[in-house]
Amino acid sequence: MKRILQTLTLVLGVGYAQAQIYLAKECEISFFSKTAVRNIEGVNKTAKPILSTQNGEIAVKISVQGFKFPDPLMQEHFNENYMETDKIPNASFKGKVNEKIDYTKDGENKVTVTGKMNIHGVEKEVTLTGTLTVKGGAIILDTKFMVHLADYNIKIPAIVTADLATDIEVKLNSTLELFKK
Amino acid sequence: MKKLFFLAFTSLATISFAQDDLLSMLDSVQKPTSNKVFATFKTTKVINAQSTETVKKNCLDFHIFHRFGNIGQESGGGFHSLYGWDNISDVRISFDYGLTDNMTVGFARSKQNELLDFTFKWRFLEQTTNESVPITLCLYENMAITPMTFTSLYAGTTENSDAFSDRLSYVNQLIIARKFSSRLSIELLPTYFHRNFVKGLTNPDNGATQDNDIFAIGFAARYKLTKRSAIIVDYFHEVSQYMTGNSQITYYDPIAVGWEVETGGHVFHLDLTNASGLNENNFLTGTTDTWKKGGFKLGFNISRLFVF
Repeated sequence: MKRILQTLTLVLGVGYAQAQIYLAKECEISFFSKTAVRNIEGVNKTAKPILSTQNGEIAVKISVQGFKFPDPLMQEHFNENYMETDKIPNASFKGKVNEKIDYTKDGENKVTVTGKMNIHGVEKEVTLTGTLTVKGGAIILDTKFMVHLADYNIKIPAIVTADLATDIEVKLNSTLELFKK
Repeated sequence: MKKLFFLAFTSLATISFAQDDLLSMLDSVQKPTSNKVFATFKTTKVINAQSTETVKKNCLDFHIFHRFGNIGQESGGGFHSLYGWDNISDVRISFDYGLTDNMTVGFARSKQNELLDFTFKWRFLEQTTNESVPITLCLYENMAITPMTFTSLYAGTTENSDAFSDRLSYVNQLIIARKFSSRLSIELLPTYFHRNFVKGLTNPDNGATQDNDIFAIGFAARYKLTKRSAIIVDYFHEVSQYMTGNSQITYYDPIAVGWEVETGGHVFHLDLTNASGLNENNFLTGTTDTWKKGGFKLGFNISRLFVF
C-alpha cells in the first residue's frame, strides 16, 4: 500500500513538476576573502539550483566540501576548522523571487530573492539581489552578496584575523534548463 | 477504518507535496555526493610511523625530525647531559613531493647509519563519509642506502669485499586507517622489512640467527583535543626469533607518544619515544632502549608545506 502511495505521489508530483521546474545545467559558486595580507578564493561547481516558474521559488543545496581552492592546505583548513564539513556537509538557500517575471519572454530582469540561507548549520532570513535572464528557453541566474561569518557562527581564531576577512563575497552564476526526467 | 486512514494519509501526502519545497525535490535529482574523509592524520608521519596522509599535488613537504638522547640516568641521560638534551640520537631531514593528491615521492637523509632513503607512498583507497568505503589504504615503500665506511659496515664480521647491494634495505608497508570520528583516527601497519646484509649474529639464548627479513605490525592513533592540537601515539612489534629474549643485545618494541600542534602552514610534534632511529630501517631492528630504565628521549617533528 505504501508503495502504491509512493508511486502515486511520485507520478503526480513529477507530472505536476515537469511543466515549470527549471534545473541547473551548470552552476558556479565562488567566494572571495580579501585582506591586506592575502586573498582566498574557493570555487564550487557541484551545486544545482532549481527554480519553479509558477511561484518563483528558488532552491540550492551545496556540498561544502565541493569548494576547490588553489591552495590545498587552505582547502583542508576550510573544511576542518571553519565549515566543519564532516559534521555539517551542506549549505542551502531556499527563497522566492519577489518580482513578477514573464518567463516566456527573453530579457534581463533585475530581481530580489528573499528566503532562508543555511550556512554552517545556522539559518538566516536574507534578501539577495541579482539578475534573472530569460534567454532562448534557458534561465540564467546571477548574484553577488556578502556573508558575514559571525552571523553563521564561523569563528576566526586570533592568529588568522589578518588572513581571513570577516565578510566574504559570494557569487553565483548558473544556467537553468527546463527539467525533464 | 483502514480505508479512512488511507484516504487521510493520501490527502495529507498530496498537501504536503503541493507545498513541497524544491529542496527535497533537489535531493531526488542531485546525487548525494560521497565525500572523501580528509585529515585522518595531519602530516605524512604519525610520530615514527608513516600515516596515510600524502602530500597534495605539486606541493613540497619539508620535514625535520630530531631525537635527543635518553632522558634517564640509567640509559646515559641524567643531569650531566641535561636529560638527553646534549645528545643526538637521530636527525632526519626529508623532502616529499606530491605527484598527484594520492601519490608522493620523497628523499631523506638520516644521521643514524647515514641513511639516504627514497620513498614512495600511494594512497589507493580513501574512506568516504557515506561509509561506502570504510577505510583508507595506503602503500608505503622505501629503499635506503647506507654510505657508511667499509670498516663500520662490516665491523665484527670477516667480510672483506664491499658489495654495493649490502648497503641496501627495503621497507614495504600496507597502511590501513580509519577515521572513527572527527577526533579519533586509528591505523594498522603490517610491515615487511628486508635487509640485504646482516652480520649474522646469533641469539645466545635460543640459537636463532639475525634475519634478513622481518615482519612487523604497527599501530598508530591520533586523538584531537582541540581544533588544532592532538595526542598521537604509535607502536611497532617485530616478529623475530633473534630479537626475542636476547640477553646479549636486548631489543624492545618502539613506542612513541606525542603532542601535535598545527599552526597554519606548519605542524609541530613534540614526542617521547624509546626508539632512537627515525625511519623504519633504523628503528625496527635497532630499538635497544627501554622506557623502564629511562631509555626514552625527547624529540620533535616539524613539517612545513610549500605550495607551488
